[in-house]
Amino acid sequence: MTRLSHFLAFAALAASAPAQAAELPAEIKQAGTLRLTVNSTYAPMEYRDPATNELVGLDIDLANELAKRLGGLKIVWSETPFAELIPSLQTKRADLIISGISDRASRRETADFVDYLTTGPQFFVMAESEAKAATDLCGKKVGTIRSTSFPVEIEKWSKQNCEAAGKPAIQYVPGENSIDVRNQLKQGRIDAAVQGSETLPYAQQQEAGKYRVVGEPFAKGYQGIMFRKDDAALREVVTEKLTAMIADGSYKAILDKWGLGANAVAEPLMNAAPQ
Amino acid sequence: MTKPLVAIRSVSKHFGEFQALKSVSLDVWAGEVMCLIGASGSGKTTLLRCINQLTAIDSGGIWLDGELLGVREEGGRLYRLTERQIARQRLKTGMVFQRFNLFPHKTALENITEGPVQVQGRKSDEVRAEAIELLRRVGLATKADSYPAQLSGGQQQRVAIARALAMKPMLMLFDEPTSALDPELVGEVLAVMKELAQSGMTMMVVTHELGFAREVADRVVYMDHGVIVESGRASDVLGAPREARTKAFLSAVI
Amino acid sequence: MRAAQTLAESFPDLSGIPVAREPHWFRWFSAALIVLALAAIARAFAGGQIEWSYVSRFLTAKVILEGIVNTMVMAVLAMALGIVLGIVVAIMRLSPNPVLKSVAAGYTWLFRGTPLILQLLLWFNLALVFPTIGIPGLWTARAVDVMTPFLAALLGLGINQGAYTSEVMRAGMLSVDIGQYEAAQAIGMGRLRALRRIILPQAMRVVIPPLGNEFIGMVKATSLASVIQYPEVLHNAENIYYANSRVIELLIVAGLWYLLVVSILTPLQMLLERRFARGTMQFAR
Repeated sequence: MTRLSHFLAFAALAASAPAQAAELPAEIKQAGTLRLTVNSTYAPMEYRDPATNELVGLDIDLANELAKRLGGLKIVWSETPFAELIPSLQTKRADLIISGISDRASRRETADFVDYLTTGPQFFVMAESEAKAATDLCGKKVGTIRSTSFPVEIEKWSKQNCEAAGKPAIQYVPGENSIDVRNQLKQGRIDAAVQGSETLPYAQQQEAGKYRVVGEPFAKGYQGIMFRKDDAALREVVTEKLTAMIADGSYKAILDKWGLGANAVAEPLMNAAPQ
Repeated sequence: MTKPLVAIRSVSKHFGEFQALKSVSLDVWAGEVMCLIGASGSGKTTLLRCINQLTAIDSGGIWLDGELLGVREEGGRLYRLTERQIARQRLKTGMVFQRFNLFPHKTALENITEGPVQVQGRKSDEVRAEAIELLRRVGLATKADSYPAQLSGGQQQRVAIARALAMKPMLMLFDEPTSALDPELVGEVLAVMKELAQSGMTMMVVTHELGFAREVADRVVYMDHGVIVESGRASDVLGAPREARTKAFLSAVI
Repeated sequence: MRAAQTLAESFPDLSGIPVAREPHWFRWFSAALIVLALAAIARAFAGGQIEWSYVSRFLTAKVILEGIVNTMVMAVLAMALGIVLGIVVAIMRLSPNPVLKSVAAGYTWLFRGTPLILQLLLWFNLALVFPTIGIPGLWTARAVDVMTPFLAALLGLGINQGAYTSEVMRAGMLSVDIGQYEAAQAIGMGRLRALRRIILPQAMRVVIPPLGNEFIGMVKATSLASVIQYPEVLHNAENIYYANSRVIELLIVAGLWYLLVVSILTPLQMLLERRFARGTMQFAR
C-alpha cells in the first residue's frame, strides 16, 4: 500500500513539475529587454527624485528585482500620464504595467491583474483641521485626482455613510494630480483630500506635521501588475518570481524601504479586488 | 498801430542734420492772402505747420492773435504748454492738407460736423445746418451724405475746406492744396479759395499755382533753403523779382 | 477691314486660332495619389482599435454638450477681455508718457514671454501667495473663494490674449495714415479724442481680420483650462475616459466638436475679412 501511495505521490509531483516551470515569452527573451511605462507623478510608488531627477519608487525597485530574476532582462522605461497606462498595454508599447494602478472590475475587461500591494482610499486633512472622524467630512468639500477611481469611491462612501445617516453628501472637487490636490487642500479650496493609503506615509514624511489622516482606508483594494488578457505566459512567470521574492524576504525589504511594510500581501493574488 | 495776426520771430527748426528753417521772421496781417512759394525742402510747408503746431519749433517764437504759441513765458524762461492747451490754440487756425485727409469712415457732412460737435461741444442741429450751408458754399450741397471714397479729388478737397471753415478759424492754412489733384480738378478748388479770399479770410497758401498767386494773393513770399529770400506784392515778386535766386526759381517754374 | 497703317509682311493673323487646353497629366496623377492616401488612412482608422460605437454614443452626451457650451462662453468672454486690454495697452504703448509706455511694454513682455498653461496654473493657485485678497477695511475674501476655475480661466486666457492683441492693435493704429491724426489735431482734437473718434475706428477695420483669426485660436486655447478644472469640452471628455478607459474614442469626440466650431468660424472670419478689406468702397453704408 505505502509503495503505491509513494508512487502516486511521486507521479503527482512529476505531473505538477511542468506547471511550475513557466517560460518567458519568446519575443521578450530574444530582445533581452522588458518595456515598461509608468506615470511618474505618484510618490512613493514611482516618481522623479527632485534632487537627481532619477526615476525612483517602490514599483521601480520591484520591477528591477523582477527583471533580474527573469534572466537578467534590461528594462526600457518610458513615462505617460495615468490615463495612458492601459492604452500603452493594449498597444503593446508596454509588456506589463506596474505603476500604482488599482485592480478594478471595470479594468478587467481588457487586462488581468496580479495583485501585489494592499491599498485603499484614505481621507486626510490639514493638521489644524477640526475633522476627527470620517463622518465629520459629510457636507464638506473633498478633493481627489479625477483620473483615478477615487471619485467613485468617495461617492459610494458618502451615500452609505452620510446620506444614509441623514447628513449632507460630500462635495467632490476634482484635481489633476496628487500635488494639485494637496495644493488645493493647503489653500483651503477643499476641506479634505483622498489619496491611496500607499502615498500618505511619503507625503507626511515630506511635509512633516502638515497633514493628518482621518479614519481608516474606507475601501479595501489592491494595486496590481497589469497584463494583457492573452498574455498568460508572461503573467505566470512573473507571478512565479514574485512568489519567490515574497518567500525569501526581498519583497518585504523593498516595501519596508518605502515605509509600506504594512501593505504587504501574503502571496500574489489574481484579480482579487472585491469590485 | 495794429498788430499783425501772425508774428513769426527768429524761428528755427531742424530735422536731424537737416536745417529746415533758419531764424525766419515774418508778419501776416488780418484779411491778407499770402502765398508761399519755393522749391521743395525750402521750408515753406514746415513754416506753415509750425503755425498750427503740427511741428514744434526749436527756437524763436510765433504769436497768433497776440498769444504766444506752444510755450508760456515766466520769469525769463519758457515752459511748454500742455497738450490740451496746445489743442485749444489750434482752434484759431484751420488747415487744408495736400492729401485732403478726410475721415473715410464718415460722410462729407459728418466730416464737417465732427469738429464743432465733438471739440467745441456745440449743438448738433445747429452745426448740421451750418455744415449744409458750408457745403453749398463750396458747391457740394448734393454730396452731404456721400463718403469720401465716392467723391473725386477736387470734391474731397472742397469738403476739406468746408471742414476747416466749420471751426470758424481766424486764419486758414493751405498746404499745397491742389498738388495732388488731376489738372482738370484744380480749377474748382482754386475757385473756392478765391471766393474765400474775397470774403475777407486771412489765408496763408503754400502753392505752386503761380497763376492763382498772381490773381488772388496780396503778398507773395519766396523761400529757399530755410530762409525768406524775397517778400512783397504779388505783382512785384512774380513780375519783377529783385533777388537772383527768385529769378532763377521763377524761370525754372514758368 | 483694312488697317489705317501699312504693316510689315510675314507676321500672320493668329486671332482666329484658339489656345489648346493642356492635359496637366501630373496634376491628375498627384490628385489620384492623394485620394489613395486618404482612402488608406480612412481604412486604417476604420479597422484600427477604435470602438466607433463609443464615439457616436458620446458625441451628443449631455456633459459633452455642456462642455462645448462652456468652451464657447469662455472663448467669447476671454477674447472680449483680451480686446479691451489690448486697446488700452496699445494706447499706453503709443503714449508720449514714458511711465505708461514702460508699463505697457512690461505687460506685453511678461504675458507673451511665459507659457499660457503656466499663467493659468498661477492664477488658479493664487491663494498660495495671497491667501486673502481685497481692500483692507472695505472688502476682503479668501482667494480660493474668489478664484474659481471660471475666473482663473477668464483671467489667464484674457490677460494673456491682451498681450498679443495689444501688438495687433498697435500695428493697426500705426497703419492708419498719419495724415488722419494730423487732420484730427488740426480741428483741435486732443490725442485721446483723436484716437477714439478717428484712429481706432479706422484701425478696427484693419485689425478685425487678424482678431478673427485669434478668436479661432482662443477657442482651442480654452482646452488648457482643463487642468484648472474648468469644465470645458476636453475636461469633460477626459472625465468620461477616466471612467471607461476609452481614451482615443473620447478624444475623437472632443476633436470633432472643435473641428465643427472652427469650420463654422473660418468662413465667417473670411466674410469679415472681405467686408473690412482695405478697399475704399467698403465704407459706404
